[in-house]
Amino acid sequence: MQWRNTAVRWGAVSKFLHWIIVLMIITQYVLAEAAEDMPLGLAKFVTYARHKSIGITILGLAVLRLLWRWMNPTPELPNTLKPYERFLAQAAHFGLYLFLFAQPITGWLMSNAQNFPVSYFGWFTLPDLVAPDKELGEVLEDVHKTLFKCLLALATLHVAAAFKHHFWLKDDVLKRMLPFGSTRSGSP
Amino acid sequence: MKQIIAALILSAGAGTVLGATSYTMDASKSSLGFTANQSGGDFDGQFEKFTARIVFADADLAGSSFNVEVETGSVNTHDDDRDTALRGEDLFHVSKYRQARFVTTGFTRKAPGTYEALGKLTIRDVTRDIRVPFTFSTTTESGQTVAWLKGGVTLDRLDYGVGQGDWKDTTWVANEVKVKFSLRLLPVTATASAELAVQPAKPRPVK
Repeated sequence: MQWRNTAVRWGAVSKFLHWIIVLMIITQYVLAEAAEDMPLGLAKFVTYARHKSIGITILGLAVLRLLWRWMNPTPELPNTLKPYERFLAQAAHFGLYLFLFAQPITGWLMSNAQNFPVSYFGWFTLPDLVAPDKELGEVLEDVHKTLFKCLLALATLHVAAAFKHHFWLKDDVLKRMLPFGSTRSGSP
Repeated sequence: MKQIIAALILSAGAGTVLGATSYTMDASKSSLGFTANQSGGDFDGQFEKFTARIVFADADLAGSSFNVEVETGSVNTHDDDRDTALRGEDLFHVSKYRQARFVTTGFTRKAPGTYEALGKLTIRDVTRDIRVPFTFSTTTESGQTVAWLKGGVTLDRLDYGVGQGDWKDTTWVANEVKVKFSLRLLPVTATASAELAVQPAKPRPVK
């Protein structure tokens, strides 16, 4: 198994981080929606607590992912891409990385403003970033929810672009990120 | 004979000076808060409405008393969902038990200015004997005597049934709740005498 990235494909570590974060973001959405629909009771608070712990996990993984990206070569985009397509791809990826930080951090801030400390699965409590403030809490809640819609829109574009590469352009851009996937050219 | 009676009246007057003083609470500068632990993290809350009838003097602990009434519905933890949950049937059950109450039965002096109040705390329909350590000090603010009563006590919420059903589980909401209070007190007698002072003094006939 190739752990590190090469100039043409993603290594196992990058793939793992990509897909585990995808799974966690889906889990986050499901938990947030479930909590919103729950009647006021302990289960609702517990579900939000889980959502927060997973959010902090995503933040930690995002840090690891950036570090790993800096320590490794980034597989190049196909030469067939026009300059503006190349720019759009890079901007979209930059945006996706930004959301991986912005979502957990706005969630953390929102929790503190609503006077909820953020505990990591009950193992330890994160420092409070802001003092309790109801109005700020409401603003941050709106920001957190709006950012998710933006993330969803960008992620949809990201998936559509991956499919375009795979089915239309028939290059390796999607395959090289798939778990256990091998590239069409068979290169490692 | 007249002199003896006058001396008796004077000494009786001195007795009331030494006796416990009644205070009214300055609600705007008094607080009753708590720290609870939810999902592993501490959060603070307070009760916005409560009254304290305090009668206290170091020299007259036997004549001292606290009577505190707390509107449980005034709980504020800066989150509507949590406050609504706290007011609900499984926690404070505000619609049925509107007030929590603390009434003292006695006091002990621990050190100068430091005491322990013994009393009965009622939350929901449960009354238990508790000991509340506190400090009592007096200062003068713009010529007026002001007393500060400060202290705290750790309670187990489940002792009082604050946590029915799911909320009995202490995994997510800890049993221990730290209660803190800081009361600014104004002596009733001082206020009354201040009011008297502005009126023209009337010589009291000595019989």
